[in-house]
Amino acid sequence: MLGLPLAFAFPVLLATLAALPILYYLLRLTPPPPQRIPLPTVPLIRDLEPEDQRPARTPWWLLLLRMLIAALIIVAMAGPIWNPETAGSANARGPLAIVIDNGWSAASDWKTRVEFVSRTLEAAADRPVFVRGTAESAATISPGSPQAALERLRSLAPQSFTPDRRAQFATLQAFLTQNADGHILWVTDGMASGSDDAALADFARLLGAGARDRLTVIATAEVKALAIAGTNNAADALNVRVLRAASQPAEAVKSAGILRAYDLKGRALGDAAFRFDANATEAEARVELPLELRNEVARVEILNENSAGAAALLDENNSRRRVGIVSGESADTAQPLVSPAFFIRRALEPFADIREPSRGAADPVARLIEDGATMIVLADVGALSGSTYEQLTKFVEEGGVLVRFAGLKLAANSDDLIPVKLRRGGRVLGGTLSWDQPRKLGKFPEAGPFAGLTVPDDIEVQRQVLAEPTAELASRTWAQLDDGTPLVTGATFGKGTVALFHVTADTTWSNLPLSGLFVDLLRRLVATANAGAETGDVAPADAVNAKTLAAANRVLDGFGRFRSPPATARPVARGRNLIATEDHPAGFYGPNEALLAVNVLGPKDKLLPLKLDIADATVRPLETHPPLDLRPHALVAALALFLIDALAVALMGGMIAGIAGRFRSRAGLGAAALLLALALPLAPDAARAADQLPNFRPEDIESALVTRLAYVLTGDRETDETSRLGLANLTRALTIRTALEPGDPIGVDLTRDELVFYPILFWPVSADRPVPPPAAIDRINAYMKQGGTVVFDTRDALSERPGTTYVTPETRRLRQILAAIDVPDLEPIPRDHVVTKSFYLIDHFVGRYTTGNTWIEVLPRDNGPNRQENRPARAGDRVSPIVITSNDLAGAWAMNEDGQPRYPLVPGEGRQREFALRAGVNLVMYALTGNYKSDQVHVDDLLQRLGQ
Amino acid sequence: MATARIIESKSRGAGAANQSAALELARSMPRLTAEARRIASTAAAGIHGRRRAGQGDSFWQFRTFHSGESSSRVDWRRSARDGRLYVREREWEAAENVWLWLDRSPSMAFQSSLARVSKLERTIVLGLAVADMLVRGGERTGLFRLTPPQASYRIIERLAEALILDAERLDGETIETGDLPALSPINLREEIILIGDFIADPATLESHVAALSARGGRGHLLLIADPIEEVFPFSGESEFLDPQGGGVFRVGDAAGFAKSYRDRIAAHRENLRQMTSKIGWTFTIHRTDRPAIEALYALMAVLHGDVMRPSASVAAG
Repeated sequence: MLGLPLAFAFPVLLATLAALPILYYLLRLTPPPPQRIPLPTVPLIRDLEPEDQRPARTPWWLLLLRMLIAALIIVAMAGPIWNPETAGSANARGPLAIVIDNGWSAASDWKTRVEFVSRTLEAAADRPVFVRGTAESAATISPGSPQAALERLRSLAPQSFTPDRRAQFATLQAFLTQNADGHILWVTDGMASGSDDAALADFARLLGAGARDRLTVIATAEVKALAIAGTNNAADALNVRVLRAASQPAEAVKSAGILRAYDLKGRALGDAAFRFDANATEAEARVELPLELRNEVARVEILNENSAGAAALLDENNSRRRVGIVSGESADTAQPLVSPAFFIRRALEPFADIREPSRGAADPVARLIEDGATMIVLADVGALSGSTYEQLTKFVEEGGVLVRFAGLKLAANSDDLIPVKLRRGGRVLGGTLSWDQPRKLGKFPEAGPFAGLTVPDDIEVQRQVLAEPTAELASRTWAQLDDGTPLVTGATFGKGTVALFHVTADTTWSNLPLSGLFVDLLRRLVATANAGAETGDVAPADAVNAKTLAAANRVLDGFGRFRSPPATARPVARGRNLIATEDHPAGFYGPNEALLAVNVLGPKDKLLPLKLDIADATVRPLETHPPLDLRPHALVAALALFLIDALAVALMGGMIAGIAGRFRSRAGLGAAALLLALALPLAPDAARAADQLPNFRPEDIESALVTRLAYVLTGDRETDETSRLGLANLTRALTIRTALEPGDPIGVDLTRDELVFYPILFWPVSADRPVPPPAAIDRINAYMKQGGTVVFDTRDALSERPGTTYVTPETRRLRQILAAIDVPDLEPIPRDHVVTKSFYLIDHFVGRYTTGNTWIEVLPRDNGPNRQENRPARAGDRVSPIVITSNDLAGAWAMNEDGQPRYPLVPGEGRQREFALRAGVNLVMYALTGNYKSDQVHVDDLLQRLGQ
Repeated sequence: MATARIIESKSRGAGAANQSAALELARSMPRLTAEARRIASTAAAGIHGRRRAGQGDSFWQFRTFHSGESSSRVDWRRSARDGRLYVREREWEAAENVWLWLDRSPSMAFQSSLARVSKLERTIVLGLAVADMLVRGGERTGLFRLTPPQASYRIIERLAEALILDAERLDGETIETGDLPALSPINLREEIILIGDFIADPATLESHVAALSARGGRGHLLLIADPIEEVFPFSGESEFLDPQGGGVFRVGDAAGFAKSYRDRIAAHRENLRQMTSKIGWTFTIHRTDRPAIEALYALMAVLHGDVMRPSASVAAG
């Protein structure tokens, strides 16, 4: 409307605006009320005739305000919509096929795309519509209702591979042929893959001249997606190739960013920044990590990019080298901890995958090569023969690294898979028959792979094999003794490398294997193997495994997140640099031990923008502004103006002054009410937040705030009431006598209620009530384990027959309950137990009866050096989880509402009720303070000692 | 624009705050003695010297004994100095009755945003302060038709109590308290101080004043006005409410009406002035936006009967 993106749902209503002039006259007739002012002098002027009695006109601005309010309401009723949805060439009524690119490159703004399409679908009303993702298989298009299409749209998600659009174009073509009035809306991500441009050109040619009417392409102005194509675990860092589509992008496309490397469990290992040079579509990032960590890297992704293309997976081909170790020593079994293989294994373990053929394997070297080792260490293996030699030679020539250690066997007899010719015999330094001193290590030659390593001065070489001096010897020397004798020599064979340590891998010839340098040397060699493997196009290991298939383990979705593989993911044949396809979405394949990474982009891929101008189609930008219903805005504006109007009228009528004067205090109230009204829309959120809270009982919430005594609800009314009254009285006593002021006692249902809030739990055992269910027993067990104290009261002291085998029903029931509970050893409360001193000094825990025993957890016998025979109080490290009495404590405490004792006492002498209360106070204080009192009784001693 | 309010009936009348304010006001004034302007025939002894010999306690002069006088009047101690007989004359002390009438009608319970206090509050404070001043000056003061004249040093509390009691008695029949004092005359030699807004028909006012002065008693009118009543700072369409009669006066354009309003008020005051001067009474106007001490000075001045006009130096003394 008027060039603005504004439309009305009911434009007819706008005709009402014509009625505004009538309103104008109506409003003019009703001016605001006059101000009312008290004035005592009125009697004096009553007979005066004011010159102008005519009421004032409504001021023009008030009139304008009111007209504006009316106009706003009318406009609001007409349903104004900003950015109305008119997508998909609304003029056409024929079937509409919506194709949405859902390859990885659509992931970064997938939400916008889906919103756009769903808006289009909503606007499509009754048109037959079909929605298709380009990453879906290209089945025929059968348009249906927009609702069905919306369902389909919701089920679409970006996929982690580059879709093949050619097939889709074929289907679309068929659709257009079938439906002469059909229209295609293609929401593209603008990324070209492979033959897309050619396919688009073909498609456009088929569409012919009318393409502009039949094909609408929705594209973002700029392809924003970044991607990782190829990672290279080089010797010093993990190099990552980052791509962008446009060489000179607009502001929206990032020209720099951060990569983050994760291990297989998703832990971040390190970051690296990248920056695109101007005009460059490629950037390189170096993730600099120690080799060990670098080998752990399983996934590299561009932060905040959220697409499968911006995540690269790394498998073992990128990381850990498999190193095979073969020892020529046969006596290894006797002393495995001093065998050469042991030293090598320990040195290599941190950064390489060690493979050792099982002892007695027929052809260990061949076996290792089959396993895919990239480096093979031979410790004192003499001459190789036959097929082994041939395989090894082939392995080295194809890029393998062979590291050999000297030894008696090699010194005696060697093949020619060594970098230098050896002199038979070797030399011995510093031995019993030699007057030479053991030799130290010299500087590492600059040309060798060990250049730059520091030379420790505590390495002594006592014996070594010697190389025949040749012209090449110096260039092949990687490490030497301080007299220039080569210690490590190396040479390249074909694409591979052979290195020879002129000493053994154990400590018989030198102490080199004991030093840290040994580890460094081997690490450098492994790094050589890494570099070599990268240059080799097909590693021998892959050639061997080429035929094995790896099933999808976990795959990436289009957003670059791991998910379980879909049903359509097929096993992939092992190979190098696998590229994701529809059948093989990007992800890890194969078993967990030997994962195979399939990535969206290969190391040689580039991101190219799609040449949309090939097709003569209507190209429209991806609308990012959703339609905005202006109705509430107009109504709110009208309401605000109405309030202003009311305020102005009140001001003119002098009401405000009166209100302000008389109800000054209520102004705050009014402001609060206004705030409340403004906050009302927020209230549902708060309510929802409250709904999400776990369903706590109000009693639990209160119990969490106030310490309170608790008793177990047995289900017997009399017993429960006695417990409640007894604990209420005890609570009163505690409040009056001690610093503790507990809340009202509460009865807990073991099967239902949470117990953690209560420090102590009274449990009157009733023979009439069943044993609690196992779940309740478990809760009690847990409660006792986490520090709670349960006081069992069998209340049967009167019927007990001590010394006989008679067991009262209550005691029997208690035994049944305790059978499933983890009860510690018990003893009758000893005189020196801390519970007898926790508040009052008491001897017995009497209740209604005095004869029953009270049992408590056995205290650990104190046999330590600080043992004191006459300690007045003893305590363990914790509070006894259980106290058992038969004296009916609650019965003695219980007072009726009128303050009269509920039960008579037996025998009822003197201060028995008082002593019962004291027992209760002591039990509660014990449960709350633990062994505090037993520490306190030493205060005198401690003070005395401090004084000295 | 100025605003105004009617004080609620609960907070009208003399409260503790008024008492202390009155005391403060009275103490801040020098001790002024009321001029003995006329000799009252009342024989009541007072502590107020009349600057002439007569009944009293304080010494005035010695004069020679005239034969025929009672010998008991001879001051023997003085006479013993020389051969003649002396009579000790005391200063004639006589107290004057000064009545106070405070307008407590609903129209007084009014305060605009321009004023510091309501008219009623100012009236009560002024009334009590004047009473205190007079008592200190030796006069006997009472509320007209409410309390007998008395010379207590706690006159402020006494009068305030009487006001409170009266307010309770009259609670609900505020009209009766009336704009004007009852039609009963005061005696010759007595004075009456009327404090109020005197919003009434001039004829009625005149009849009341005439009744009061029927026996020759002297009177002083102090008109308390809220500035808003004088200035009329209103504009636009307004309805004016009469707090006393409850009537409504509607004005289409208050600004245009202001001129005739001010004229009317001025005429009313001129009426009052003429009426009072005719019978020898005084008429003073006090606005509640002015400090109360001004009104007190003015009152004391008229009480002194133009003989001695209080000045700043007197106030400081």
